[in-house]
Amino acid sequence: MKKVFGLFILFAILLLAACSDDNASGESDGKDSDDVVELQWYMIGTPQPDTDKVMEELSDYTEEEIGVRVNMTQIDWGDYEERMRIITSSGENYDIAFVSGGTYTLNAQRGAYVGLNDLLDSHGKDVKEALHPDLIEGASIEGELYGIPANKEIGNQSVLVFNDNLVEKYGFDTESIETFADLEPMLEEIKNNEPSFSPISAASMFRPVMPFDYVLGWNMPVVFPFNGDTETAVNLLETDEAMETFKVMRDFYQKGYVPSDAASSTDPWPYNVENWFVRIEGYNPYAELLWERDAGYPVKVQPLTDPIINNEAVTGSLMAISATSKHPEEAMEFLNLLNTDPFARNLVNYGIEGEHYEKNEDGKIVNLPARGERYSVPQYALGNHFILDLFENDPDDKWEAFQEFNDSGVRSPSLGFHFDPSPVRTEIANVSNVASEFMPPIFTGSVDPEEHVPMAIERYNEAGLQTVIDEVQKQYDEWKETVGE
Amino acid sequence: MKAEEKPANLSKKRRKKVRNPHHFSPKTNIIMTVLLGLSAFLCIFPFLYVIIISVSSEESLIRYGYKLIPEEWSLDAYSYLWNMRGQLFQSFGISLLVTILGTVISVLMITMYAYAISRPQFRYRGFFTFFAFFTMLFNAGLVPLYIVMNQFLDLRNTIWALILPLAMNAFYIIIMRTFFVRSIPEAILESARIDGASEWRIFFKISVPLAVPGIATIALFSTLGYWNDWFHALLFIDDPNLVPLQALLMRIENNLEFIRQNTELGGAVQEIYATVPQDAAKMAMVVIATLPIALTYPFFQKYFISGLTIGGVKE
Repeated sequence: MKKVFGLFILFAILLLAACSDDNASGESDGKDSDDVVELQWYMIGTPQPDTDKVMEELSDYTEEEIGVRVNMTQIDWGDYEERMRIITSSGENYDIAFVSGGTYTLNAQRGAYVGLNDLLDSHGKDVKEALHPDLIEGASIEGELYGIPANKEIGNQSVLVFNDNLVEKYGFDTESIETFADLEPMLEEIKNNEPSFSPISAASMFRPVMPFDYVLGWNMPVVFPFNGDTETAVNLLETDEAMETFKVMRDFYQKGYVPSDAASSTDPWPYNVENWFVRIEGYNPYAELLWERDAGYPVKVQPLTDPIINNEAVTGSLMAISATSKHPEEAMEFLNLLNTDPFARNLVNYGIEGEHYEKNEDGKIVNLPARGERYSVPQYALGNHFILDLFENDPDDKWEAFQEFNDSGVRSPSLGFHFDPSPVRTEIANVSNVASEFMPPIFTGSVDPEEHVPMAIERYNEAGLQTVIDEVQKQYDEWKETVGE
Repeated sequence: MKAEEKPANLSKKRRKKVRNPHHFSPKTNIIMTVLLGLSAFLCIFPFLYVIIISVSSEESLIRYGYKLIPEEWSLDAYSYLWNMRGQLFQSFGISLLVTILGTVISVLMITMYAYAISRPQFRYRGFFTFFAFFTMLFNAGLVPLYIVMNQFLDLRNTIWALILPLAMNAFYIIIMRTFFVRSIPEAILESARIDGASEWRIFFKISVPLAVPGIATIALFSTLGYWNDWFHALLFIDDPNLVPLQALLMRIENNLEFIRQNTELGGAVQEIYATVPQDAAKMAMVVIATLPIALTYPFFQKYFISGLTIGGVKE
C-alpha cells in the first residue's frame, strides 16, 4: 500500500515540477524582454530539427544589427491554419505570423493584425522600396497594408505542360497551341497510340483556363470577366465563354481524353510517374527546371495566358504583425532586415553555411545532406526572393527573369479589392456546398453541360448566389470610388 | 462492433462445455453465427485491405488504383519507413510513454474520484458527483482549453499536454462509481473498518481488488484513448521529438489535404509533395500504428466482457 501511495505522491510531484519548471521559464522570457526583445514568429512548414540552431545564429546577427532576438516556431502545413486560428482567438502575444489568401483578408478585417502603413514609414523604409508597387497596392485592404508580401513572382500564369518525350516522338508543334481546344488532334493521336498514357491529367481540382477573375477564390463561381465589361460581377456559369469551354471539355471527356474518374479522383498526378501527356500548371520563370528535376524526363511549356496580377497572386505569401504583439516596431525592423539583408535572408532560407550548404567556386549554393534532413524550409513563405543566392543548377539570370516576368504582368481589374464576406456568410457557405457538388463534374466534362449547367444555375440561385453577386458588386463599386479619389 | 461480437463467441464456447439449458436453438445458432461472422468480416476487411495496399508497389497503385490482389507486390513502403526509423521510433516511444503513463494516471485519478463519490459516508458526494456530471453536459470548448494549457499551465511542448487533458473523464467516473456501488457491499467495508483498517488500506486492499474488472475496462478505454489521440498533439506539440505516432500520421494526411486545396502554389507544392509519403507508405504506417494496440486487446478482453455488462445497468 505504501508503494502505491508513494507512486501517487511521485506523480503529484512530477506534475508540479513540470508546471513550475515551465512557469519559471515563461517568466524569465518576460524578464528578458526588458533588455533584448525576443520576437515570436510563427511559420508554416514541417518543423525541422535544426530550426533552433539556425534561429540562434540569426538571433546573434539580428541582436547586433537591430537589437532583437528571434524565435521561429514552425507548424506543419496541414495544421497551420487551424492552429493559427486558435492562437489568434486565445489572444496569445506572438509577434509575426505567416499568412496567405483568404485568411489574410479575413484576419486583417477582424483586426487581428497591426496596420503597417505608419510602421513601414518609420521602421521599414528599405523593405518598402524593395517591394514591387503592385504587391503593396494589391495586398492593401482599404488602403492599409497588414502584411509584408514576399517579393517573388507576382503573376498567375496558366501554362500547358507537355511530356516532351511524346511531343518529340510524334513531332507535335506545341508552339502553335493557343487555347485548350487546339489540343484536339494531339490528344487524338495519343489516345489511339499510347494506351498507357492519359492524354490529359485531370482530377477533381482540375480547372479549365477561362478569361475570368475569380474574386472569391477558385471555388466560388463569382467572377469579373477579363474581356468586355470588366466591372460587373457575374455568375461564371451564365457566361458564353464558360459554356464553350465546358462543351470542349465534354467533347474531350466523351472521346476518352480525360480520365473517366476525374470528377471524384484526388490523384495529384506526380511528375515522377510518366503516365500523362499534357496538364495545366501555374508558371513562374524556370519552373520547368523544377518539374524536370522531379520528373526525370524532359517537359515542354506553352503559355495559355499572360501573367495576371490579381489578389490571389499578391496575397499568396505575407508576414503579418499580430495586433497582440508587444513589440510591433521591433517586429517591423526585423521584417525590414529579413527582406533586404542578404545574409539574414539566406541564413533563414538555406541554413548555416558549412553545415547545411556550401558555396561552389561560382558562389552558388550546393546543398549538404544536412539541409534536406535537418533544415528544409519553404522558400516561398520566408520573404524576398530577389536577394537569395542561387542554387548550383539555377540559371544565372533567374532573378532578372523573375523581374521581367513581373513587369510583363497584366493587372486584373479587381487588384486590391478585398471582399468582406460577413454580410453574406450563410449564402457563401450554401453556394460553396453547391459548387463542390456540381463543379468538378462540369469542369472535367464528366456530365453534359447543356443539361447540368442550367441545373447548377438553379441550385446556385436557390442557395442565394445572386445575393452574393449583388454584395460583391456593391462593395466593388464602393471600393472603386475610394480608389478613384 | 468488435466488442459486440467477441462476447458472443466466448459464451458460445462455454455453452458447449456446460450444456447450458438456456442455449439457442440450432437454427438461431446458425443465423447468429453467420450474422456475427459477417460483421466480424466487415470489421476485419478494411484492415486486411490496408495491409494489402501497404505491400503493393506504388507504381501499380497509381496506374491501376487499389486492388485486392495488386499487379505488383513490393515491400518498398516498409523500407521507406525503415529509412525514417529515427522519427518513427521516437514517435513510437512517445506514444508508448504517453499511453502507459497516461493510463496509470488516468485510472488512478478516476478510480479514486469514483470511489469517493460512491461512498455514502462522504459528505460532499452530491456536489462532486454533480461537478463531474456537469462537464458531460457543458463543455467550454477549444479556445479556453488552449488558453488554460498554454498560458496558465504553460504545458506546450511537454508530454503533459498529451496526458492531462485526457486524464479525467466524467463518463468513466460515472461507470466506475456505479461499479463500486454495485460490486462492493457496504458490509465488507464495515467489517474492515471494525478490524481497524484505514481508508487508504480499505481502498487499496479491498475495494480495488474487488473492482478489477471495472478498472480493467476503463484502463482499456484510456489506453485506446491515449494511443489514438492526435488532436492534443496537433494543438500543443511543435517539437518533432514529442510527436506521437497517430499525430505523425494525421500530419501526413493533413499535409496531403493542404496540397489538394492549394494547387495554385505551384512549385512550392511540389516541394511539399516530395516530403510526403506515398499511398503505400501511408498504409504501412497505419499498419504499424494499429498493430500494437490490436495486440494488447486480447489481454484485456477477459475483464472487458464482465466490465461492459456493468456499465449498462443502473444502480
